[in-house]
Amino acid sequence: MAHIKVVRRSMRPEEWTDLRFGWLKRHIYSSKWEIENLEIRDARQTAEMEFEYYSESYRPLKKGDMYFTPDGTAFIKADVALPDDLKGKELWFCLKTAAEICVKVNGKYIGGVDPNRERMLLSPYIDENEVLHFDMMGYNRSKPDDERNPESLSVRGCRQIFEGAYICTVNHAVQDLVWDFELLLDIAKSELFNEDYRAFLNRELNNAMNLINFDEDELSGIEQAKKYIDEVIYANDTYKGSGDVALIAHSHLDVAYYWRRIHAVQKNLRTVLIQLRLMDKYPDFKYTHTQPYVYETLEKYYPEVFAELKEKVAAGQFEPVGAMYVEPDCNVPSAESLIRQCLYGQKSYERMFGKRVNNAWLPDVFGNSWILPQILRKSGVDYFVSNKMSTWNDTNRFPHNNFIWKGIDGSEVYASVPPTHFITWNMPSQIQENWEAYIDKDTGGQTLNMFGYGDGGSGCTEEMIEMMHRFDKLSVMPKCEHVGGAEFLEKNLKGNKNLAVWDGELYLEMHRGTFTTKSDLKKINRRLEYKFRAAEMVSLMRNEDNREEITEAYKKLLINQFHDILPGSHIHPVYNDAMDDYREIEAVLDRIIGSGKKYFNTLNFRRKSLTFIPNKNGTSVRYGEKGNWLIPDMPSLSSSALRSTAYKGEWIKAGDTVETPYYSVKFNADGSIASLYDKELCREWVKGDFNKLKLYSDTPGNYDAWDILPNYKDKQISYEVAEPLCFAGADGECAEFICTLKTEKSTWQRIIRLFRRSRGIEVENNVDWNEKHVLAKAEFTPDVLTRKVLCDTSAGYIERESHRNTSWQQARFECCHHKWCDMSEFGGGIAVINDGKYGVGIDEGAMSLSLLRATIRPDVVSDMGIHSFCYMILPHGGDPISAGVNEIATEYNVPLIKCDAEWTLPHFEPLYLQAAKKSEDGTMTVIRLSEQKGTRGKIQLDRKVKMLNMLEEAECETDVIEYKPFEIITIGL
Amino acid sequence: MTVKSYVENILQPKLQGDGGWVEFVSLEGDKLTLVFRGECSKCLILHRCVSWIEEQIRLELKINVKVDAIRRRPYFQDV
Repeated sequence: MAHIKVVRRSMRPEEWTDLRFGWLKRHIYSSKWEIENLEIRDARQTAEMEFEYYSESYRPLKKGDMYFTPDGTAFIKADVALPDDLKGKELWFCLKTAAEICVKVNGKYIGGVDPNRERMLLSPYIDENEVLHFDMMGYNRSKPDDERNPESLSVRGCRQIFEGAYICTVNHAVQDLVWDFELLLDIAKSELFNEDYRAFLNRELNNAMNLINFDEDELSGIEQAKKYIDEVIYANDTYKGSGDVALIAHSHLDVAYYWRRIHAVQKNLRTVLIQLRLMDKYPDFKYTHTQPYVYETLEKYYPEVFAELKEKVAAGQFEPVGAMYVEPDCNVPSAESLIRQCLYGQKSYERMFGKRVNNAWLPDVFGNSWILPQILRKSGVDYFVSNKMSTWNDTNRFPHNNFIWKGIDGSEVYASVPPTHFITWNMPSQIQENWEAYIDKDTGGQTLNMFGYGDGGSGCTEEMIEMMHRFDKLSVMPKCEHVGGAEFLEKNLKGNKNLAVWDGELYLEMHRGTFTTKSDLKKINRRLEYKFRAAEMVSLMRNEDNREEITEAYKKLLINQFHDILPGSHIHPVYNDAMDDYREIEAVLDRIIGSGKKYFNTLNFRRKSLTFIPNKNGTSVRYGEKGNWLIPDMPSLSSSALRSTAYKGEWIKAGDTVETPYYSVKFNADGSIASLYDKELCREWVKGDFNKLKLYSDTPGNYDAWDILPNYKDKQISYEVAEPLCFAGADGECAEFICTLKTEKSTWQRIIRLFRRSRGIEVENNVDWNEKHVLAKAEFTPDVLTRKVLCDTSAGYIERESHRNTSWQQARFECCHHKWCDMSEFGGGIAVINDGKYGVGIDEGAMSLSLLRATIRPDVVSDMGIHSFCYMILPHGGDPISAGVNEIATEYNVPLIKCDAEWTLPHFEPLYLQAAKKSEDGTMTVIRLSEQKGTRGKIQLDRKVKMLNMLEEAECETDVIEYKPFEIITIGL
Repeated sequence: MTVKSYVENILQPKLQGDGGWVEFVSLEGDKLTLVFRGECSKCLILHRCVSWIEEQIRLELKINVKVDAIRRRPYFQDV
């Protein structure tokens, strides 16, 4: 017998309830009085608080008019005399918009509207007998695929239709009932709740709706429906839920992303303002807000709102969280940058609010370096919060939510990786989902559930708080507690002996492309990090107080390390802004460093690597600049004049096999190396593709700038060898071989350098890059038997397994490294040292340096154009540590500077002198030392020094520095 | 200023500020062909922006054009 599926075509009772729920919402406003004399002036923001106006004067703005322009700011105003019949009532201002608008009345900011909210309370902030002068400033950021309010998708865009502005009165009985239905319908529709309870809800909500008479203009039966819900639904405790959920109000604010940093000033204003007004209405409402930088913009440009915020901070309602200056990327910035994020962040909070915070609040960052726990602990931070690993991992379920995170040096912080997204709207189903996903139910205490719209700010709504006030009426819900961020962490994690320990990096199994996208930003960021080091040292040596200038420039660098700027996941104007900032920073640093007759070695170890020194009379060229290759042989922290050697002997033989003092090399036409025989170590280094440029089709989908997918090797893009590798000449130190590779759209010149007195083989790449969806890598398959790759973290190294037995190993096919990566077996190995690349592919017996990408979202022309970068292949004997790979890589990245000053302080070898600066308060010299080899020892000093934390506070005095593996030590002199 | 220059130097930065992208293709008679990429390529209300572009060109360059808007969606949004 044929089976015919029964399809119900008639309306279900639940649909009937939904339909009437829509009707009910139409009655929220008991009266609406349209403001008809609005005027608008269009403009475009050009800098923080600076605007280019499109007209001299305002024009009328009427309902149905178009308003906003691409990247536009709209100033809207009206003088309103309240009609007598509105006086004495509780009045609201209502403006439905897909834009983001801050509203000021008679000089006071009363609130904000955006796609997530359409009204604000007016009465408490006005004198109803005065003419009300409305001043609005609106921003139209049309990022259309955000999660804030999918319903607004259809009207989001650069040009909107003005739907009118109104002064309204609210029917609170209807509004309350709407919130009840909102809450209960969410449960009724969610499969996460008990099926029988949902059937009960559907039945009883229908019954409640039946009490309302929708046939008249004025609704009746509202009170009866409310009473029915109280007495029948809320009173029912037959169905028991479980769980214990901490609800933390938060709004994620990207400093730049689909908008420029200059727009974040007003995004932050709007967000803060909305939360302040919610606090006025709901005294129990607490809200957490990150990033000292955005507080500073509020303080600078909106002091009256900042003063209110300070009051709420003092009252404990508004909670600054997150010790870092912004929410930075936590893969690419160096250890010193991450320290400065904490230092400047904590100092800013201290100055603004008289207190620091004890947590790092980084919900959206793309994985976290293993060096972070130590930096946090030494910056007064005991707790760490970051969401992505639980919600965004593409392969493995991260096994903890509340746990202890152990860092590379053994430092521990309490960590929370909440089970669900950091943007939610406090619906019961979202809370239930959080509880069900929570892994550490037995050991971790409460689970952390953030609520509030975000990405571009916005935050919580009345509805979210009203939902929260109803949760304890529902036996089916988990137990919920509205708490602050620090309160949650201290209550659940502090001293919790049951917490599991995660020892390792917090690798995010997604967004692996962000180590490579927008490669210019990464390269310049690296250069500037080291230039800051030099500028601070030179200031010390010359006894110049450049603190103010350096701090200002440093903060600019830190802002550009924000997790959607440095990783490359932003629109094109954000890239332009970052490059402008970098130019400004570099000009400041160059001015501070100045010049001199001699060269100064800023490293606290002898420079003995072959180094390129620019010289207009030089016999070599590197990065298009003339100069000489020479071995400075300069002692630690010393200066000297440098002279190039004029070696005239024959040291290289170019033929099918190239002979140098170190190697016999066979090249392929494309610059890859077919054979690299090591004359010193009597061994071959090449097993497969080696220094082979590979282009792959790179189509990760919607997260284009963010992701490289596991199958990226599926489709290789071919290129032609336009000019086969040929010998281009040699001087007494360096021989160059050049080839040119071409695709239809791009040209890639490779200059390969072999040296008389260096084991390194340098590859300079000059690329005219015009691809789409292509990932370029340099691949190395050495004849080395190893199952691990060592990667520099900037403060020590991390060992990563290169085999692919488990899903965890498989997921780490592309990782972040800093100056070098290395594959070694007992007796020797191959290191690849770079001058600004961060992505490294790890695949069984091979590693690959990620060079360039060509993504189109969010930036259509990301990475297009001219690129020049170098890397150096370094075959070595022994292990990479004893072979000095880290020192060589540091020399490769830290140029000698022209400076005649002298270093008069101790040298602190064998620790790496990471920074030397004037303390923030100007009272002492701060020295930061980093153990980078994994060793332990003591340094006897000739004087007593203060042992400091990273906030430059003395903890004790000593004349012996005892150091442990990978420890970062700060001392004061 | 030519229409091409106006599109590339005046309009383009504004559209980029919203994650959009516009490219001049041709001006034949009063038919101005523009390619829209980025967020513009999938904008549900692009027609409003196109009208604004026509209006701006009329006001600023005193030329009446009719824009032929070509959307170039990225492959992952081309559904």
